[in-house]
Amino acid sequence: MTMPATPPLLALTRRHFFRECGIGLGAAALASLLNEGRAAAADPLTPKPGHHAARAKSVIFLFMAGGPSQLELFDYKPKLSALHAQPVPAEFIQGKRFAFMDTFAKEVPKLLATRRRFARHGASGSWVSECLPHTAGIVDDITVVRSMATDVFNHAPAKCFTNTGSPQFGRPSMGAWVTYGIGSEARDLPGFVVLQSGPRGPRGGNPLWSSGFLPTAYQGVPFRGVGEPILNLRPPQGVDDAGQRRVLEAVRELNGLRLADTGDPEIATRIAAYEMAYRMQTSAPGLIDLSGEDRKTLELYGAEPGKPSFANNCLLARRLVERGVRFVQLYHTDWDHHGSGDVNLTAGLDRVCRETDRACAALVTDLKRRGLLDTTLVIWGGEFGRTPMGEVRDSVGRNHHIDTYTMWLAGGGVKRGYNLGASDELGYAAAEDRVHVHDLQATVLFLLGLDHTRLTFKFQGRDFRLTDVHGEIVRKLLA
Amino acid sequence: LLASPHYGERRARRWLDMARYADSNGYSIDGPRSIWKYRDWVIDAFNKNLPFDRFVIEQLAGDLLPGATVEQRVATGFHRNTPLNQEGGIDVEQFRVEAVVDRVNTTASVFLGLTLGCCQCHDHKFDPFSQREYYRLFAFFNNSDDPTLELGDPGLVGERSRLQSEITRTEKRLRTLDRATSEKVEKWEGGLSPASRALLPAAVQHILTIAINGRDPQQEEALLTAYRRTDEVHHVVAGIGQPLPFAAAAHAAALDARMTMERQLASLRGRLPDVPSTLVVNERTKPRDSYVMLGGDFLRHGESVSPGTPAALPALASPAAPSRVDLAIWIVDARNPLTARVAVNRFWQDYFGIGLVETDNDFGTRGTPPSHPELLDWLASEFVRTGWDVKRMQRLIVTSSTYRQSSHARPELAAVDARNRLLARQNRLRLDAEIVRDAALVASGLLNPGVGGPSVYPPQPAGVYAFTQVPRTWKTSNGPDRYRRGMYTYHWRTAPHPGLTVFDAPDASTACTRRSRSNTPLQALTLLNDQGFYELARGLAERVLNEQGLDDAGRIDRAFRLCLSRSPKPSEAEALTRLLHDPEVSRDARPAWTAVARALLNLDEFITRE
Repeated sequence: MTMPATPPLLALTRRHFFRECGIGLGAAALASLLNEGRAAAADPLTPKPGHHAARAKSVIFLFMAGGPSQLELFDYKPKLSALHAQPVPAEFIQGKRFAFMDTFAKEVPKLLATRRRFARHGASGSWVSECLPHTAGIVDDITVVRSMATDVFNHAPAKCFTNTGSPQFGRPSMGAWVTYGIGSEARDLPGFVVLQSGPRGPRGGNPLWSSGFLPTAYQGVPFRGVGEPILNLRPPQGVDDAGQRRVLEAVRELNGLRLADTGDPEIATRIAAYEMAYRMQTSAPGLIDLSGEDRKTLELYGAEPGKPSFANNCLLARRLVERGVRFVQLYHTDWDHHGSGDVNLTAGLDRVCRETDRACAALVTDLKRRGLLDTTLVIWGGEFGRTPMGEVRDSVGRNHHIDTYTMWLAGGGVKRGYNLGASDELGYAAAEDRVHVHDLQATVLFLLGLDHTRLTFKFQGRDFRLTDVHGEIVRKLLA
Repeated sequence: LLASPHYGERRARRWLDMARYADSNGYSIDGPRSIWKYRDWVIDAFNKNLPFDRFVIEQLAGDLLPGATVEQRVATGFHRNTPLNQEGGIDVEQFRVEAVVDRVNTTASVFLGLTLGCCQCHDHKFDPFSQREYYRLFAFFNNSDDPTLELGDPGLVGERSRLQSEITRTEKRLRTLDRATSEKVEKWEGGLSPASRALLPAAVQHILTIAINGRDPQQEEALLTAYRRTDEVHHVVAGIGQPLPFAAAAHAAALDARMTMERQLASLRGRLPDVPSTLVVNERTKPRDSYVMLGGDFLRHGESVSPGTPAALPALASPAAPSRVDLAIWIVDARNPLTARVAVNRFWQDYFGIGLVETDNDFGTRGTPPSHPELLDWLASEFVRTGWDVKRMQRLIVTSSTYRQSSHARPELAAVDARNRLLARQNRLRLDAEIVRDAALVASGLLNPGVGGPSVYPPQPAGVYAFTQVPRTWKTSNGPDRYRRGMYTYHWRTAPHPGLTVFDAPDASTACTRRSRSNTPLQALTLLNDQGFYELARGLAERVLNEQGLDDAGRIDRAFRLCLSRSPKPSEAEALTRLLHDPEVSRDARPAWTAVARALLNLDEFITRE
């Protein structure tokens, strides 16, 4: 991976001290403390070896919030179309529970044919609908999993489940587990970054990228695509850069004196944290400034510098990964196509596909041509899928569905041009190679060099894991 | 110190971590809730030195005490702090059961130091508790309803509910009269030309600039009124090119009626007394049936169970049909080996960073054994012997010579006891998130020391709500509420104040019995650049500049003392003097002193208990 040529943290810190702080004996004492590497040992994000050789170094998770309809996008079901408007066979819904149960209770729900045209694409012959023309163009670089399954069918708990392995809030999210396990290569950026686009934030908010019971150093840091990417990145109004630097130098000097006095290595960690804060202040604004990207790249993504969008976030994700950030998660909202108002499977779906399709494909293409796809795992998908039955609302829509849905993965040790799993002929349940959310989580950790049964944290008397007590590595999709 | 009302605040904040206290409902919608009266009850209980056994009983079962007082009912808010899912399409029973499960798990970990949550799905793998016993505890908590308690003078409460129902009636009539639905308003809004927009009152024009889902109820109401007025103009004057829908006379009559009603409504609203409310627990008269839930799944009922306590612990005093009160009394029964030990261990943890038992919420076989078992036993027996006197325990610990040791590192101990578990010295501890803010407030002289009341909105950086489902408006408090202690900051579960989260304040999802202490670059950015902290640095600069009869050295000494409670050493004073006179900082006194103040507020020592 290409890393910016930043001198190692300690060297930098020491150089600052000797060059700028001439503080006599205190400095010598500090230098010796730092020399012993305590500060580095105390930095929770220092890269660490995993349990085995990693196939991927970074993850970009394109989270399609709301639950994209696999039946309009990836899962081609001619039988469903043939049975359009027929009541769903009783054996399918016997004893099953759905969101908005009352709408289904009124009458037996009817099957709904898709209005979208499907075709096979690429050498892999992968079915993709007309909604995603750009994704159709990269099927030979990705693995499509049409047999995903999850446990919970309301948005906030399901998002929480996909991210933390539990439907109850309060557990660490995948990005937190990963940075806890192997740290991050980025020395001047957080190890786990969250980006957001679409009409509103994802349901669930902060707990989705929380560090739960892990130390907060591992929690996801939300980046904003315009203005200040990180909260409090710029000096306060009325303070210029020179003034800010002088204050920082005084803080460093006084903290150094205190360190020499008390010998508490926590102070060395804090000195290092201030160094990194300063570097973030310098590097982050340049990071989000997309105007330096060439025209062709901007066009590939459909990104416009300064105008927040999913496309900009995809490009930003590539830039973050280039700089060594371990886990980048992009949320794009409004996939919840029940058929209320304009959030439906016609114009509503068209809009959200338009907003995302091109940039998703561009990201994979761009990573590939830069040689980053081999070490970057890209994941596309939402918290669940949608029912083969239609929903009777203002217009056409489908309900939340957990028994089967589609996600895709690319790069980072995953097969290229591969189709894994299948749903039954109505697209109701996974029929072949079912991949449960916990299996996906186990696989992501595996690709990063981590064993999901050994990546644990002791809390309330128990060794907790991302996958709880479940999860099987999905060997079939490994390259 | 124990007599200061701020003692109660300090102890309360730690307790509120365990109570998972927050000012909103959590999950996706995360609507606001009013439960600060419970927070104030906790502060007050510590200040009054309510014996710990009463403290426990009132929170777990205050509603069931004979002749329960309002205060005792407020105390039951402890278990009303569970999150609430308001998302569309949910199965309400599922989330009710989840709340009860959380109440069982919280009760076990907070009071008993047990990890009973394991038994929700299966028998405990390590400790002697079965899944059936879990659901017998569950049965204690399964019979409550979750009402809202209106507080204040009973006369006022009655008056309020009478007026409220009259308001609702009038509103309903008004709505049928003009059928001004929100859809209509939205449509009207969408069709407004810039010219007709400009004719609207300035306040309404402002509301129109806010995104539809970002308006608060008052703003929506103001818009509705504006719509009605315009609508009248349409009808009566017919000046904007719309035909009269019905006879002018009839319409005028309707208009008249509406105006009267609007006046009535305004007067009713004006008379509405301000009565705070809080969330409480109330026992149902008809109990719910409880079952073992197979695999923890609320749909798969196993064997039916009645309320009861685990067999591994001493038996209940009243085994026949016990209630939540009996459970609470059992928890604080002197024969219960856990409660007192768990409580004193947490006091110890607060003062030393790590408890005598490091796993403060796991006293089971998988927990760590106590570093000083006899001390733990003695402290626990003292606690019970003195009638669960909380203040006395604090005094006992902080006057001990162990507590009063210096926290300087002793290199010779590094090899023997690297983590200082044997306490051959004191530990340096990073201050809690709220206290980081409080320390800066105190140094700046701006602190408003008021105790209790509704939560407040200190400044926070823009852009916090870009990541929530429902955008929030944060009406930054101006005036005295701007400078309240950090613990009074309004806590939105899906987007808590970033200044708190960054310093490890818990997210209030589940009980937090021990905070972690991280040390991150984001903390540095907060202290350095947050406008709220900057404001306090300026306050500190102002404060020392206003001191009469001091020269620069005197002022540096003063500022240093205000922040660190000690005088600077010569090398420290020299560093600050250099900063003060650095031409790159400023040649003017105010900004130069602000730089000095900022340096002080950013020191490790400033946010550390030495």
